[in-house]
Amino acid sequence: MSATGDGATRRMPTPPLTRLRAARPARSRGRVLGLTRRPPWALVLPALVVAAMLACAIVPDWIAPFDPTDMDGDAILQSPGAAHWLGTDHFGRDIFSLLVYGARESLLMGGCAVAVGGLVGGLIGMVAGYVGRAVDMAAMRLIDIWLSVPDILLAIIIATALGSSLRNTILAVGLVNVPRFARMMRAQVIALKAKPFVAASRAIGSTQRVVLFGHILPHCLSPMLVMATLGLGNAILIGASLSFIGLGVIDDRPDWGFLLTQGRSYLTAAWWFATFPGLAITALVISVNLLGDALRRRIDPRLRPV
Amino acid sequence: MTTRRQFTALFAGTVLASSTTRAKAAAPRPGGELVFGLDGAAVVKFVLDPHNSGFAPHNRVFRSIFDSLVVLLPDQSLGPWLAASWEISPDQRAYTFRLRPGITFHDGTKLDAAAVKTNLDRIKNPANALVALPDIGPYAGTDVLDATTLRINLTEPFAPLLRNLSKTTLGIVSPAALAKYGDTIGQNPIGSGPFRFVSLSQGTEIRLARNPDYQWSPPNAAHAGPAYLDLLTFKNVPEEATRVAALRSKQVHAADTIPPQNIVSLKADSEFRVLQKELLNHNYTLHLNVARAPWDDNDIRKAVQLSLDIDTIVKVIYLGTQPRAWSALSPSIFASSQKELTGSWKPDSKKAAVTLDRKGWVAGHDGIREKDGKRLTVSFIDTQGNREKRLDVIQLARRQLARNGIELVIDSEPAGAYIRKATDNEYDLAAGSQFAPDPDVLRRLYLPDGRDAASVSKLNDPEISQWLRDATREGDAERRAELYRKVERKLIEKAYAIPVYVLLYTIAHAADVNGITIDTHGFPEFHSAWLGA
Amino acid sequence: MPYPLRRAAAALLVIFGAITLVFLVLYWLPGDAATLVAGENATAETVADTRARLGTDRPLWVQYGSYLGGLAHGDLGISFGTNEPVAARIRAQLPATLELTGFACLVAVVAGVVFGVVSAVNQGGWVDHGIQAAMLFFTSMPSFWLGILLIMVFSVTLQWLPAIGSGSLVQLVLPVACLGLAASGKLARMVRNSVLDVLEEPFVTTLRGNGLRESQVLYTHVLRNALIPVVTLLGILVGELMSGAAVTETVFARQGLGRLLVESLGVKDVPMVQGVILVVSILYVIVNLLVDLSYSLIDRRIQAAA
Repeated sequence: MSATGDGATRRMPTPPLTRLRAARPARSRGRVLGLTRRPPWALVLPALVVAAMLACAIVPDWIAPFDPTDMDGDAILQSPGAAHWLGTDHFGRDIFSLLVYGARESLLMGGCAVAVGGLVGGLIGMVAGYVGRAVDMAAMRLIDIWLSVPDILLAIIIATALGSSLRNTILAVGLVNVPRFARMMRAQVIALKAKPFVAASRAIGSTQRVVLFGHILPHCLSPMLVMATLGLGNAILIGASLSFIGLGVIDDRPDWGFLLTQGRSYLTAAWWFATFPGLAITALVISVNLLGDALRRRIDPRLRPV
Repeated sequence: MTTRRQFTALFAGTVLASSTTRAKAAAPRPGGELVFGLDGAAVVKFVLDPHNSGFAPHNRVFRSIFDSLVVLLPDQSLGPWLAASWEISPDQRAYTFRLRPGITFHDGTKLDAAAVKTNLDRIKNPANALVALPDIGPYAGTDVLDATTLRINLTEPFAPLLRNLSKTTLGIVSPAALAKYGDTIGQNPIGSGPFRFVSLSQGTEIRLARNPDYQWSPPNAAHAGPAYLDLLTFKNVPEEATRVAALRSKQVHAADTIPPQNIVSLKADSEFRVLQKELLNHNYTLHLNVARAPWDDNDIRKAVQLSLDIDTIVKVIYLGTQPRAWSALSPSIFASSQKELTGSWKPDSKKAAVTLDRKGWVAGHDGIREKDGKRLTVSFIDTQGNREKRLDVIQLARRQLARNGIELVIDSEPAGAYIRKATDNEYDLAAGSQFAPDPDVLRRLYLPDGRDAASVSKLNDPEISQWLRDATREGDAERRAELYRKVERKLIEKAYAIPVYVLLYTIAHAADVNGITIDTHGFPEFHSAWLGA
Repeated sequence: MPYPLRRAAAALLVIFGAITLVFLVLYWLPGDAATLVAGENATAETVADTRARLGTDRPLWVQYGSYLGGLAHGDLGISFGTNEPVAARIRAQLPATLELTGFACLVAVVAGVVFGVVSAVNQGGWVDHGIQAAMLFFTSMPSFWLGILLIMVFSVTLQWLPAIGSGSLVQLVLPVACLGLAASGKLARMVRNSVLDVLEEPFVTTLRGNGLRESQVLYTHVLRNALIPVVTLLGILVGELMSGAAVTETVFARQGLGRLLVESLGVKDVPMVQGVILVVSILYVIVNLLVDLSYSLIDRRIQAAA
């Protein structure tokens, strides 16, 4: 989650001295981009982690040594060792293989949730920002209402109402993300609407649709992408919380949140069962957040990473 | 100082000696507060109305607040409690009870024949729709013969009555409190038990205090007279990792429903003691919905049964801490067929596969059998979550069934949706358990009349129905037992019910806590509990 | 209309909208509350009577109207589950949640500011990297995992702190740490960046040049500016904390609105859920209102100062 600039409803006061920043010399630009200060591993490591997890999601059978549904009755709650690198769970399933196959479920759930939020929110924000006035006011009030119920609570209500399934979890987490994307999109559209190139485009007679989709939208994509990347981590965490509450999906290929939920009672008896899924989630969320930050810095050097 | 050191050594020696001879020598010390970490599981609210909760965690608290007319003794016979003696009429339609004199409720009012009558009438009243209603069966009314004598009249013989009267669900509540609190009686429980209610924090804590006037403990109690503890606090900790942590960090003196993976380590730990006792109940049993095709076909049901390896499931999930159930009734219940039915069937997935093939259910492209375009899918409906590791059982079952081309899907619903789907038969497999001391509990599940519409079993087998009706009326114990054994056998033979595990209720407590017992029903008793050195 | 009044009116609208939204969601939630309340042994008549008593047999708009009418009198209805007034139950559970959220907010702000400033002042050093890594870790962990880990370490192993309960202050330590640490991470990063921004302003060099002690420079000028992101994030922070309370209350077996919400949803205790959402969104909206109002104050002062 991030408090990115969102226009009218929250004005961020800029300390007067910071306004001088716009006129900074190039030397400091480099510093602002973080290239001189941030060590290289801060970017390379997360990228590697995410790449590894994507690989697990795309070709799990190449990476996982066991079938994750394989229950070995003789190897229940076995500690990490030669046969099972990360140990086994209460069914005798290999935890490493479960994590590899679970990457797909977790990334899928998070990715689709963010996509839902981005599409719906983006649409609302775009319409609100472009059309303006009454529509804008109505949309913003709707967004405010949406926001007035905190994240997880809203997700719990929606997930309970819809029932437990992967699709419903995606919907619940996705709908929770909508307001953020809406606000971001709206702010971008409003800012861009005032730009000279848009006026120029209209002056030469382009239709609204061309202006909107051809000119404004492409400029909004990068900040939305940044928000999506940062939102992915949050989506996965909300999904894990839903699992914990009991609204998770019981599947042969459990996602990491569900594994962590199952493993949490085994911390004293079989620490590996809870620890590795937890580490996996944390690693993914950290990596995605760092990557998102890096993306943001590239895209808008004036915006400080949050 | 030397003398002190000598004294300490002597004292330590004595303590060591007494603890190695297992504290029989130590005298109970009055006083103190015992904090008990209770697994309230799906408890949303504490409704401390004993007549209106079939939920085991509530009843674990009730036993300390409410007494019953009779007590269930370890040999499954019944002994006097609030009722000093009783007579059953030859036609078994009238039970005359003589109560002990001088019993009072926590609010000072007398527990007399009239009070018992008020309780029973209340339960019978259909407008109240209380959970305990089936427990009193064909109750017609009570005649109060004198202050301590009452006669319960039934319209027809009802063999389970005495055993049911030993349940917490028929515990005696103060009529004055019923009149005073009405709908909010669930937050103001007034009974006659060794502990009286002090206060509760809804959903989190129930606080009880000693009843100093308590003189009517059952004959098999460790001691007569009031309880030793000053205070008894139940803390609701549904999160099992937290509950065990609270025990280990000494924040609670005792905790129940210990997960299997912790039982072993707690037993090995000298700082803790583990008590285990069977909860008398209808075991957690799987029921295929016979009201829905193709589960009305005997052969298909048998095929599902033979595809399951219950021994493996129980061994894997419960790590050897709980035995497998072979019959619907748990082993210690009167007329349970656990022994007779042990080994009565073995998993045979080959035979099951042959049967399914023969019936036209042939494996499709993904291995799941299909017939006429329909997949062989079993939709398992659930609302209670993974308590007692039940969903883990189902997950393992799913894997076993998948090997034979049967697809099991878990449908988790919130309570409201569950009831609707269960009532409308929108499911294929349901499962549940019900605590009960009497085999009459079979009637609650397998007899269509009077059964709850959302019951886990939709069985309608005329032969079983007749046996159950007869057994309810049968006064001769042996004949009655025989009827129930027939029912249990048929339930397994026809795969109407697939029992899974026998629940051993577990309490782990710190080594310096003494006197916690588990009664014959399987509910904790704190009357003789005391906090030691 | 002056700005504060406008914002207050908007806030009321938002609360109203939240109630309506939840009302609709609950109306469509599957299951019949009357069946649940009447119990398993109820005859069809009893269920029908119960339905009439609860009022769930009336059309949607009638139920809605009657609910609003009750609200006007401060009557939040009767719980379907316990037959006691919803307002009473919420009043009983609210203090625990307020306690938890309030202290967690305090911890988050203090920890965030302290870590952020320390980090910024030691920029590039191992202290900075260490703090950043720790903060990153805390924000990326599933909160229930962090909670259980804290219990295992501090309650079971070290036996320093109690694991459960909501009565005393010491029982608050672990839950507050769990909630607060996760939230402080985000804040710490923002504070760090804000302080770094201000530290490189020319006026700071001037002050240093004038012989002002480093600590004085820090406390009087830089810190004041660095606290602005705290105000920015406060609204979001409170929302996150109230969200996270649902999970934390379950892990630590505490009383609270979050846990009440989850459990009431499960049994379709409509009045209770509505009541909780109402209270939560009121709190959230009030906090955001205060944040926005203080924004305009800060901004005006900075404008004036410039």
